[in-house]
Amino acid sequence: MSSRLYDWFDRRLNLKPVQRTLLDEPIPGGASWIYVFGSVTLFLFLMQAATGMFLAVYYAPTPDHAYDSVRFIETEVMFGWVVRGLHHWGASAMVIAIGLHMLQTFLYGAYKPPREAMWMMGVVLFLIVMTFAFTGYLLPWDQTAYWATQVGINMVGTVPLVGDLLSRILRGGETLGALTLSRFFAIHVLFLPAVIAAGIALHLFILRRVGPAGPWTDDRASLSSETFAPRQVYMDAVVIAGVFALVAGLAYGIPLPLTDKADPSDTSFVPVPEWYFLFYYELLKYVHGPLEPLATWILPLCVILIMLFWPFIDRNPVRNPIRRPVALGSGFLFLLVVFGLLGISIKNLYAVPRADPAVARGKAVYAQFGCAGCHRIHGEGGAVAPDLSTVGDTRPDRAWHLKHFRDPQSVAPGSFMPKFPLTEQQLNDLTSYMLSLKRAT
Amino acid sequence: MHVSHSDEIHEGEGAGLSTPVGSRRTFFHWVTLAAAGFVGMGLAIPLLGSLISPALSRRKRDWVDVGGVAELPLGRPTQLDHVTTIRDGWMETKAQKAVWAVRRSESEVQVFSPICTHLGCGYRWDDGAQKFLCPCHGSSFDVNGRVTGGPAPRPLDVLPSKVEGGRLLVMYKDFKSGLTESVEL
Repeated sequence: MSSRLYDWFDRRLNLKPVQRTLLDEPIPGGASWIYVFGSVTLFLFLMQAATGMFLAVYYAPTPDHAYDSVRFIETEVMFGWVVRGLHHWGASAMVIAIGLHMLQTFLYGAYKPPREAMWMMGVVLFLIVMTFAFTGYLLPWDQTAYWATQVGINMVGTVPLVGDLLSRILRGGETLGALTLSRFFAIHVLFLPAVIAAGIALHLFILRRVGPAGPWTDDRASLSSETFAPRQVYMDAVVIAGVFALVAGLAYGIPLPLTDKADPSDTSFVPVPEWYFLFYYELLKYVHGPLEPLATWILPLCVILIMLFWPFIDRNPVRNPIRRPVALGSGFLFLLVVFGLLGISIKNLYAVPRADPAVARGKAVYAQFGCAGCHRIHGEGGAVAPDLSTVGDTRPDRAWHLKHFRDPQSVAPGSFMPKFPLTEQQLNDLTSYMLSLKRAT
Repeated sequence: MHVSHSDEIHEGEGAGLSTPVGSRRTFFHWVTLAAAGFVGMGLAIPLLGSLISPALSRRKRDWVDVGGVAELPLGRPTQLDHVTTIRDGWMETKAQKAVWAVRRSESEVQVFSPICTHLGCGYRWDDGAQKFLCPCHGSSFDVNGRVTGGPAPRPLDVLPSKVEGGRLLVMYKDFKSGLTESVEL
């Protein structure tokens, strides 16, 4: 049936040459599992595009409604949390896939003549993907999104002469707000997809004009080639299915809770960027004062320029990695710095003190006495009494809490908080819980 | 399935271009199709599911406290104003709504939708006539909601209600007007 349908179209549209062009592309040296990363990246891009379209069905890009609409996707829409999970983890997977794709290209010296333009286009695509990541991060409009973007835009502001103007353009004015959200949304879902689609087309066009690089052997004349289909297609498909299973597993398995709704007046919130920006976040901690511009824009600009023009910096014509010690050495050093910083950053982030069992017991006391009827912690609970989300920072004094729980009016005159019949143990546990309520670091 | 290497590689003519043939080719073909099917279904189900989701879920209604039962006079309809939360997707708005409550006994209360079943006007209770009168087209209903005159096609719509701890709780709904049957919107 399908072949008769195909024949019907083929007689009219002359499809056979198109099929040959697409599937019989010669792979020098034969198909290999090491060549799958480009296809995986392309698949992940298509998945991001598809899941993004379906998220846009529900998302509202205004500060009034963005947070609520994302929460609606997360809690009310059937499979909404899965689609958001696929989009979230798909973004991370895409960064990894691009990293591996670039690493393979680098190791195989596949950026060398005549493939310089393909490498440069690839670097441009990578930068577009990072811009996707940066603009997409703001859209949920929660505290993390708001403050991480605030920091990102402020970094742009440190560029001399044009920095202030650039950051105003990014924000759409003086402050991060409604105009920022709508332009980030437009950039994320309209401008960048158009740009990246053209970029991908160009990247693939160059690939088909110069052909894949194949193995790094010097004796290229003796290399036999294999058609792209069916073996390379099969390898690409198997790895893509594996990557999809992994991303779907993360989407189903790990919930993505929103932090509190963005509150521009809460300057105490310490944002943490996505993991793929963490190495840079860590780097910024070490550079202060007059050297700051070095880290905020001089170094990133240099790295981007070196990456972009790498085929012209590395003039060694040899592709075999063993005979390219300088290139391999500098590549290794770069990765060592990036992953070293990433490692330190993750260690700092997760080196939280071991959980105190008193805190968990105190949390139970908090629930038992219905404290949430009046108090609020991270958006949960009433709003008639003080918000306790960060009470551990604002009132770090243990004795104060103990005294306060015994007799609230003794330390807070005029307070309408009742005296609760707490045992000594409950008193201590509840105090431990209060002191544990700190800003995320 | 075991696949040995290069045993079935077909050497192309001249160019050194080869392509697997026979059972090897069939194997690659089917694995590729299976992978594509797995990824395709894995994406299609959540994506299409999320798209049709609102069509499958009925609007959730909450019980709203409209007042104390003790304040209602026996047998005489009373208009009770209350604020209800209206959910429209991710938007929540508060709206002022009214219902007509008739206390039948100590704990039994019947609650009518405040909308005339003819064309959706708001009606009122006339103490003198002992009737609900609609100002638009002259429909009238007795204290039990039955049609006593005018073009109304069906009795007044009854809203779900219950009494808890002396408070009257109502689930506000809208109904299609102009039909002989009561159909919820």
